[in-house]
Amino acid sequence: MKINSITLLNFRQFLGEQTFVLRSDPLRPVSLIFGANGAGKTTLLNAFTWALYGSMSEDVEEQHRMVTDSVWRELPIGGTAEVAVELTFDHEGREYRLVRQAESRKESDEQQRAIPEVQLWETKPDGSSEEVGAPQERIYTILPQGVSRFFFFNGERIEKLVQKGAYGEVQQDIKVLLDLEQVERALDHLPKVDRRLTADLKKYGGQKANEIQTAIDDLRESETTQKEEQKVLEADLATLNEEREAVNELLRQHATAAPIQREREASIQDLTDARAARQQALSDRSALISSRGFIAFTDDLAKTTAEMATALYERGTLPAPLKREFVDQLLEEGRCICGASLAEHTEPWDHVLEWRQRAGLQAVETAWQQLRGQVSPIIGARKELHESLQAILKRLSTDADRVGRLEERISELDGLLKDPRMEGVEELESKRIDLDGRIGVKQQRIGSIKTALEQVQKEIAQKTTERSRAAVTDELAAKARARSDLVQSVRRALEEILAIRSEDMRQRLDAELKDVFSKITIKRYIPRLSTTFELALFQTIDGVELAVPKSTGENQILSLSFVAAVSKLAREIRKEHRAEGTLAEDAGTYPIVMDAAFGSLDQNYQREVSRALAQMAPQLVVLVSKSQGLGQVVRELMPYVSHLGVVVTHTTVEHDVSDDIELEGVAHPYIRSAAEADHSELKVIA
Amino acid sequence: MPSVVRTETDVLEELTVEERALLKRVLEIERARLHVTAADLTDDLLAAVKEVLP
Repeated sequence: MKINSITLLNFRQFLGEQTFVLRSDPLRPVSLIFGANGAGKTTLLNAFTWALYGSMSEDVEEQHRMVTDSVWRELPIGGTAEVAVELTFDHEGREYRLVRQAESRKESDEQQRAIPEVQLWETKPDGSSEEVGAPQERIYTILPQGVSRFFFFNGERIEKLVQKGAYGEVQQDIKVLLDLEQVERALDHLPKVDRRLTADLKKYGGQKANEIQTAIDDLRESETTQKEEQKVLEADLATLNEEREAVNELLRQHATAAPIQREREASIQDLTDARAARQQALSDRSALISSRGFIAFTDDLAKTTAEMATALYERGTLPAPLKREFVDQLLEEGRCICGASLAEHTEPWDHVLEWRQRAGLQAVETAWQQLRGQVSPIIGARKELHESLQAILKRLSTDADRVGRLEERISELDGLLKDPRMEGVEELESKRIDLDGRIGVKQQRIGSIKTALEQVQKEIAQKTTERSRAAVTDELAAKARARSDLVQSVRRALEEILAIRSEDMRQRLDAELKDVFSKITIKRYIPRLSTTFELALFQTIDGVELAVPKSTGENQILSLSFVAAVSKLAREIRKEHRAEGTLAEDAGTYPIVMDAAFGSLDQNYQREVSRALAQMAPQLVVLVSKSQGLGQVVRELMPYVSHLGVVVTHTTVEHDVSDDIELEGVAHPYIRSAAEADHSELKVIA
Repeated sequence: MPSVVRTETDVLEELTVEERALLKRVLEIERARLHVTAADLTDDLLAAVKEVLP
């Protein structure tokens, strides 16, 4: 989606009809619009969302006063006033014109909430244009309302994106944007489709097919129940983990407990590493024994073989003085090397034949030679095996010591925190222990459900194979079975695609976020997107990774980095080979429209945020005041700007409050006093 | 030996023509109704199955 223009008609303080063209190109994707406090920057931002969804953000006051006050005041009782916003935009190869309009009939000085109507026209690539039958539905498919929070936002409130408690909604919207949600929904819906198909199989497929299908249905039911329980348990676990993190945070902040808590966290991390190292050593030992362990039992074998070979050589049996192949050749040719004829059953023939029995086979001799060649390396390999095993045993012993030491140290630190003399800490520590216990129980339960689910899935696969082999004569039933098999295959593929996409998306979003954030921040904080798409900021102190209590500014930077990363990834993924097939060139492209974009950020942050957004967003509309936008922001953004504008404030205040804004050396009206009515004017500068 | 990471392309390539067609259609149907959280798409999806395997 790329916005081409916005036109306002009597929309709040924007008197009459006013248009601002926003069409931009990839080299200059930015439109920069200035406005004084109260000029209508937030209103302009809300004009976009009102046009798209018919709603405005919560921070807009007096939402029922849609028509410009002066227009309403002049309207006679019984008269009607029109308020409208028109958006033109391109999306996936088509042009759209969207108009949301409301008519208000004046019954008193107070405006009543008007119900707007929406219309949408679509121009196809062939130039034909038509009105879209279900305009709101189409808009939701172009940009779902939840997702719009990433693209139309107020910079001062953007930090809500990364606040605790917002994860659920944000995660859901990210899933939509990154094409995960449709896969999850398909996985929810396909079993119902399958159930409908297999009902026919049960009805017409005969007793055997019916029995198998009933068993599959039962297994599926059990699978659903267990999956639901798993979801509940995982949600409980997330809550408990959050509670434990909060307790840990309190312990970290407690003056007396802080150093102990820090050491404990470092020790716990070390313990995890030590246990992993010990496990690795055990695995290495198993791998060594399974691949080369047999060499340990070759001591006698190697020795005996070597002795045998030596004895044979000493006796002159090896190498064989006479080869059987040579004797066979003489017999076949019927002539001895001495020149005697070798006719069958004659004395010379019998004589040579007797030699055949005593001759050695070439193959046997070669085998002996090879065996001899391998005997000495076996002796060397045995020695090597012994050394490798000893090294692993040493590692195991060191790791076991380390694990033991750390376990003791952690117990000691636990004890210190339980000391009743530490005011407030004892209670926190008891709570932490309790939470640890409860988390353990949940994890165990989740583990056993996972095992049970694996078993159920195996049984389903088995029964499905049985089903495909069962004799079904009825045509309807056979068709139902084929369709059910098809649905099952697609379901399995979708399950795998979901797993692949989720991990891939998370890793890429995390990497992108780290990259953007590191370019903006002046601190050594590292953002991280967890497996559950939770955003957090960390820093490393004395080797311990600790969560950063974020300031409003840091939350804003984190959120803006997140928006930039999401925007970039949404575009990238739709250009890849995916199950949805080839998508339009601009699929996944959305504009970013930001009000008060730089919130309360310092100058250096404003500069870096401007740069990051200008380089990453395919289209950027920035609404700023003079104090926020001049200086660093203008300097950074100007090379990327294709449209420049000012929302001029016209005020009825009579004393001179007029002000200008100087852009590229030219002064433009910013505030004008002594107007006939309070209103705002959207003025195009360039 | 480095482990081979499976990709979405690998999954798609292992499917038959019918399976790929249904998978694509299912995702189209779901995507078009993403904004309706309570949508019951059983009939639409069933029709898609019958389209692919008449």
